[in-house]
Amino acid sequence: MTIAPNSLGETDSNATLALTHDLDRSGPGSGRPFATNEPGLIRGNMISDLERGRLSRVWSHRPQFLHLGLFITAYVLGCGFAQSLAIIPGTGISIWPPSGLFIATLVFASRYSWPWWVLGACVAELFSNFLWFHTPLPAAFLIFAGNALEAVTGAWLVNQTCKRPVRLETLRDVLAFVVLAAGVAPVASATVGSAALAWFGIQSQSFATAWPLWWIGDATGVLIVAPLALVVFQNWRGKAQLSAARWMEACVLGLIFLGIAALSLSGYLPFAYIIMPPLLWAAVRFEFRGAAVALTVLALITAVFTISGASQFAGDPESQKHNQIMLQLFLGISAFSALVVAAISRQHQAAVLTLRESLEALRDRERELSQLVDMVPSHVWRLTPDGEPTFFNKRMVDFLGLDVTDLDKQGIGRLAAMIAATVHPDDAAAFGDTLSHCLATGERFSMRYRLRRADGVYHWMSSRAEPMRDHAGLIVQWYGLCHDIDDQMQAEEALRRSELQLQQMIDAVPVRIWSAVPTGGPVYFNKRYQDHFRAVIANVERLREPRIEELLQELVHPEDAPEVLRTLLTCFETGGGSAMRFRWREKDGYRWAECRVEPRRDEDGAVVQWYGVSLDIDEEVRAREALRQASDKLAQATQAASLAELSASIAHEVNQPLAAIVANSHACHRWLGAVPPNVERAKITAERIIRDANSAADVVGRIRALFKQSTETRTNGALSSVIAEARDLVTEEAMRRGVRISVDVESDIPLVALDRVQIQQVLVNLIRNGMEAMDSGADDGVISIRVRPIGDVVQTEVRDRGRGVEFPDRIFEPFFTTKEQGMGMGLAICRSIIESHSGRLWVEKNEPRGATFIFTLPVEMEAAS
Amino acid sequence: MSKRRPVVAIVDDDPRLLESLEDLLESAGYVARSFSSPGALLVSGLSGLDMLITDIGMPGMDGFELRDLVKKARPDLPVFLITGRHEIVDQHRAKGIGGLFCKPFDGQALLAAIGDALRNPKTEPKHDS
Repeated sequence: MTIAPNSLGETDSNATLALTHDLDRSGPGSGRPFATNEPGLIRGNMISDLERGRLSRVWSHRPQFLHLGLFITAYVLGCGFAQSLAIIPGTGISIWPPSGLFIATLVFASRYSWPWWVLGACVAELFSNFLWFHTPLPAAFLIFAGNALEAVTGAWLVNQTCKRPVRLETLRDVLAFVVLAAGVAPVASATVGSAALAWFGIQSQSFATAWPLWWIGDATGVLIVAPLALVVFQNWRGKAQLSAARWMEACVLGLIFLGIAALSLSGYLPFAYIIMPPLLWAAVRFEFRGAAVALTVLALITAVFTISGASQFAGDPESQKHNQIMLQLFLGISAFSALVVAAISRQHQAAVLTLRESLEALRDRERELSQLVDMVPSHVWRLTPDGEPTFFNKRMVDFLGLDVTDLDKQGIGRLAAMIAATVHPDDAAAFGDTLSHCLATGERFSMRYRLRRADGVYHWMSSRAEPMRDHAGLIVQWYGLCHDIDDQMQAEEALRRSELQLQQMIDAVPVRIWSAVPTGGPVYFNKRYQDHFRAVIANVERLREPRIEELLQELVHPEDAPEVLRTLLTCFETGGGSAMRFRWREKDGYRWAECRVEPRRDEDGAVVQWYGVSLDIDEEVRAREALRQASDKLAQATQAASLAELSASIAHEVNQPLAAIVANSHACHRWLGAVPPNVERAKITAERIIRDANSAADVVGRIRALFKQSTETRTNGALSSVIAEARDLVTEEAMRRGVRISVDVESDIPLVALDRVQIQQVLVNLIRNGMEAMDSGADDGVISIRVRPIGDVVQTEVRDRGRGVEFPDRIFEPFFTTKEQGMGMGLAICRSIIESHSGRLWVEKNEPRGATFIFTLPVEMEAAS
Repeated sequence: MSKRRPVVAIVDDDPRLLESLEDLLESAGYVARSFSSPGALLVSGLSGLDMLITDIGMPGMDGFELRDLVKKARPDLPVFLITGRHEIVDQHRAKGIGGLFCKPFDGQALLAAIGDALRNPKTEPKHDS
């Protein structure tokens, strides 16, 4: 037989595709497969599309003729086998192999190809009938109809029940096959066939006697042949997958099987069922295929021995009927047992295979897990509940340079050995204690310690371990994980060092540093500050969280404290920095310090922190004070020098009235000493003496007032009123000299600090100078006085139209000032007065004539600020 | 007391001194003619004068200039200089210049010197009060 498994017919789905294909192409057209062979098309529209489709589908599913021919041949041979085995010749009632072949073929073939196979079977059976059975044609046809019904029913039921393709490899499939194909389906055949025999009276068989024989014959045929047929169909093109050993086993089994079968069936062995062990052997070891082949062989041997009469199933005609049934039962039970055992074996094999695959998969998973554990960039370790290490992952082994087995030493446990070998001596005790505690209590282990690397270098590790518990809560294992945190620890250490350095630097620099949060509470004082506190504040600890006010009160000079507090509060309020100078209270008095306050801001500009630094500037301040005093002394010395220069002028001023007094005294003396004494003249002269002496006293008084070293007389005054007073003083003289005085004072003249009398004298002196300068010749004498602010000084100009100044550089020297009459004040004195007011006095030439004396007085800065 | 009284001109910008000198000279029997400035003297003229006494420090022309000017017109006219500035007197005496008097001067000495100068106009006064 050369039937290819897939050549028997196409699958349902292919058929459906073909059907759809045809329906879509319902109209006339070329290229349609089988179109020319379709009778429907030839005859027009006489049959419906559906029928035409089904027909075309059946047509398209026709089996290869070779397969059909082989099927027919096998069917005929099967009939021949049944005929030869029929104990009652002519009945055709015996093992009926064609039923098995028929069902197996239909089970395997596409349902749409079934008509072809039914047709083929019909041909074969009618041909066999013609050869051997010689049954009347209607009866033969009826019997065939029964057989066909049986095959179609059986195949349909099996296909419905078992999943395709039907391989009879599970117990369920086998049982379904046995019950449906070998049990239920032959009912149809037996009923129809027995009825036909009874109806036509063939072989004088009654329906009741024929039916069981018919049924059991067909059932046995199905049981024996259908599995073989399925095996052949399914494995036709399959390669032999048996190993040499299996082939050997198959051969040995075949020999034993043949031997036992021959011996038992030929009567040498007492019991035909002795064949069961090798049969089951075949079923167990070679499963379905082995069972099918063995059953077939058994059936053939049985047939041969039965035909030759050597079988125990042969015998005299009375017992033939009984034997017939026994034979068929024997074959049926054997087939049933073999198939069931094969299916069980198959299932067992499948289970074993699955188990093996599961084991393999499990092993793969385990390997994968193991690799994973080794790949984790950490140390993974496992301890027994007692703490004995049982596993280190690869990284840990590589790191330590030893594995758990290396820790097995005489006398001490693995744990102790591990601690001794790997943990830093400084950490070993703590490590051991902590781990012991965890082992005893079941708490999680977590610790940092130094672990010795294989090369002897210790690395900081962060280690954790947790217990794994069983259902009862008992600890089964401890699993630990250990990270190398050496870099982190080094970084932390570096950070700590850097912080310490910074701290030391802050403590070492000779300044006091503080910082505060924006709310203003002090949060940090450097060491110098704290030392300061301790030195100054009695029991500083009482001020746990000192407030700024308290601190300032304790630490700052009472005169400076309010200002300092105000400045600080302003800073905190406005967010601006500031710098201030004040006196700290120190252990031995007060010292000047400069304190600067600056905020640090974040990106948004909000103040994050306040920083203050206080620098001792006491020595600088004292040095500056000394310098200022020296400067004052120098100024006094300068003034003294100026006074020395002026002494000449003063002498002149005093000598003038003195000279008059002396001369008058002599004159008086002469008038009185004359004969007769001129009392009248003497009296007049004496009066003049008194007048001039008073004048001299005035001069002395004025000089005293001029050089009185007091700044108390200085007041903040308006220059305009001083000018008005001076003008009043010279008004009479000006009228006498025919000189007009004009005063021009700009509005908003700032106040100046001045000695009213001194400045008045300067003004009178300058005005009189101007008037005297205009005596000669000038008829329209005008003295212009102008006052205006320039920068931070007030400038006063006294302008005349006189003969001008010939030597403006020397005019202020004492020598050149000796021309005054009344007041007796030289320009040198004027300059001295102005300079003592921190001002300046100079002279400029006028165009076209005259001179302008100009002096400045500084604006009173204190009053201004 | 026999002939006419000698006329002495006085130039000084201080009216009190002019007044006192005039009084002193009159008490001694001289005729005193007072001028508040050299200009006033020159306008009045030098004729009829027997003697000139002038201050040194004055606005405009000072005493030395006046003396030099007068000496050109009347080389015979004795001229006395008076001043309140002692350093000037010291300066000129060091140069051997005579006829210098410091304020306050001794009235008797001045009158004696005037008398000497009028009696013997050729000789320079030598006193030093």
